Amino acid sequence: MPEMLHYAFMQRALAAGLVIGIAVPLVGVTVVLKRLSMIGDALGHASLAGVAAGLIAGLNPVAGAVAACVTSAFCIEGIRRAMPARADLAVAVIMAAGIGLAGVLSGFVPNSATFSSFLFGSIVTVGDAELAVVVGVGAAVILFCALLARELFWVALDERAARLAGVRTGLVNAAFVLVCALTISIASRTVGSLIVSSMMTVPVAAALAVARSWRQSVVVACAVGAVSSLAGLTLSFYAGLRPGGAIVLVEVGILLLLLLVRGIMRRLAHPAREDAAAR
Amino acid sequence: MSDANTPNLSHPSRRQVLAAGLAAAGGALLAGCAGSGPAAPAGSDAGSDTGIKVVASFYVMGDFAKKVGGDLVSVTDLVPAGTEPHDWEPSPRDIEDLKAADLFVYNGAGMEHWVEDVVSDLDTAKVVEASKGIELLVGEHDHDHDHDDHDHDHDDHDHDDHDHDDHDHDDHDHDDHDHHDHDHDGHDPHVWLAPANAKMELAAIRDGLAAVDPEHTEQFDAAYEEHARAFDELDQEFRTALEPLPNKTIVVSHAAFGYLCDAYGLTQRAITGIDAEGEPDARTMAEIIDLVKESGIKTIFTEELVSPKVAQAIADATGASCQVLNPIEGLTQEQESAGEDYLSLMRQNLKALVAALG
Repeated sequence: MPEMLHYAFMQRALAAGLVIGIAVPLVGVTVVLKRLSMIGDALGHASLAGVAAGLIAGLNPVAGAVAACVTSAFCIEGIRRAMPARADLAVAVIMAAGIGLAGVLSGFVPNSATFSSFLFGSIVTVGDAELAVVVGVGAAVILFCALLARELFWVALDERAARLAGVRTGLVNAAFVLVCALTISIASRTVGSLIVSSMMTVPVAAALAVARSWRQSVVVACAVGAVSSLAGLTLSFYAGLRPGGAIVLVEVGILLLLLLVRGIMRRLAHPAREDAAAR
Repeated sequence: MSDANTPNLSHPSRRQVLAAGLAAAGGALLAGCAGSGPAAPAGSDAGSDTGIKVVASFYVMGDFAKKVGGDLVSVTDLVPAGTEPHDWEPSPRDIEDLKAADLFVYNGAGMEHWVEDVVSDLDTAKVVEASKGIELLVGEHDHDHDHDDHDHDHDDHDHDDHDHDDHDHDDHDHDDHDHHDHDHDGHDPHVWLAPANAKMELAAIRDGLAAVDPEHTEQFDAAYEEHARAFDELDQEFRTALEPLPNKTIVVSHAAFGYLCDAYGLTQRAITGIDAEGEPDARTMAEIIDLVKESGIKTIFTEELVSPKVAQAIADATGASCQVLNPIEGLTQEQESAGEDYLSLMRQNLKALVAALG
């Protein structure tokens, strides 16, 4: 047994990393195709505002985070629908609102320790109960995406075509937004928002670089996510790097590698055309 | 318009702008909280206009100023109760209070990251940098440094490191370059946690007060002498209580106790470094767990104003318990109303240390 598995915290971190690494890119494929790549960051900040509001009001801060996250997600969806060509703007607006609100509200939180304990999840401090939550949410996300695979594919690609194909886009969109918000609010608190928001996009970018079909891109995205989680944690353990950053860098490394491989393959397959294009 | 009376700050931070904007908008949501929230001017005793108006950067500076100034001063702490001073920054209102004050007392050594901008606008005669003249330790915040400590404490790691004598104060100097924490100069600012240093800070504050109000120099001197004796007693209590204890290594969540450890021959092993809330890396976690298990450490120290999550994770993994060791950067609201001060909190720290190391 390798040394790092002797530690219970590493076992939990690897398990949580694996689940997050599969579940979050799964959501991410649809998110990216809907041009909502930054939704992870936006909702992460919104959930900070929710935590602060919960603490100020004396309510459960996790409930506050989930509520703020779901509300903002629906706001994004609303703005997106009002301005269909400007989905990225919707995310930016909500992100700004989230940062502003979190910044102001944090000044009113009576004890900063309780506030910060909700901000700084870290994958290496995940406890047994939190791991159970991560696994539960992860399983729910995977189930959701598997059951609605066809509908999500249509909605992500082209909403008008989706309606023509008989997909109830309003319902699917709403359900997806809800799943997205739950994943982000709960997972970012336990493993850190950096990991969650990067998992939503970078593995998907890697998948889009090489995959030739929807199904392939889903599989590649999840594989990249899972591999980077495990590799990042291993690096963190043996090289003493911060785990969140290490995982993100591995993701980006894989993305670059896949782009390079794709470039070489294309060149080998169609040397003449690439040359012409280069000129 | 509530921001009509804000001073013309050259560099208002984003948070300040937001706060001002919010105040102007009179956000209905927050109106209820604003009265009780820490954004209200810290310390209502600022209003009493008798005596010398002293503004202190954070709790312990204010406490020292009260000790020396007694009834002659009215002291306001900038950082409100319940807030971790490392995260705090002044609002336009705070700056205004500062300008109106007769004396501004701050710790320095990098503790108040915002202080340089503020002090440049003030009359130097009205400013006391309490840590001035105290020999500073290089901050033990950096991970590399922590690893070195570890290797020294436990020779179970075979890779050779250059600083085997980490206990010696003067040995800290040679690796300045690899400390990149929040301090501008890489020094550990928590000087007041050694009573001998606290006494020096008290003296600096006395000098500052005497310069502002020379007529009362004798009173300040007398008050200083009285409290200096109390600090000496505290120092002696620490020495006699800690010296005979068999264990010398403490595990803390935030590397704030360098001066205290230095004064009494202890070694601190910090989990997350100075930022107290950053994410620990997996190797550091594993090393601390090994350290705690191998040397039978019973207690992981955390602080009231910092999230105990990481410390709790290590305590869970090792069967140790989490206890509070207070860096006295600020009080919680309960401590404030219970009338705690530097001396009583340091005695609580001593009790916790004795329980942990005995």
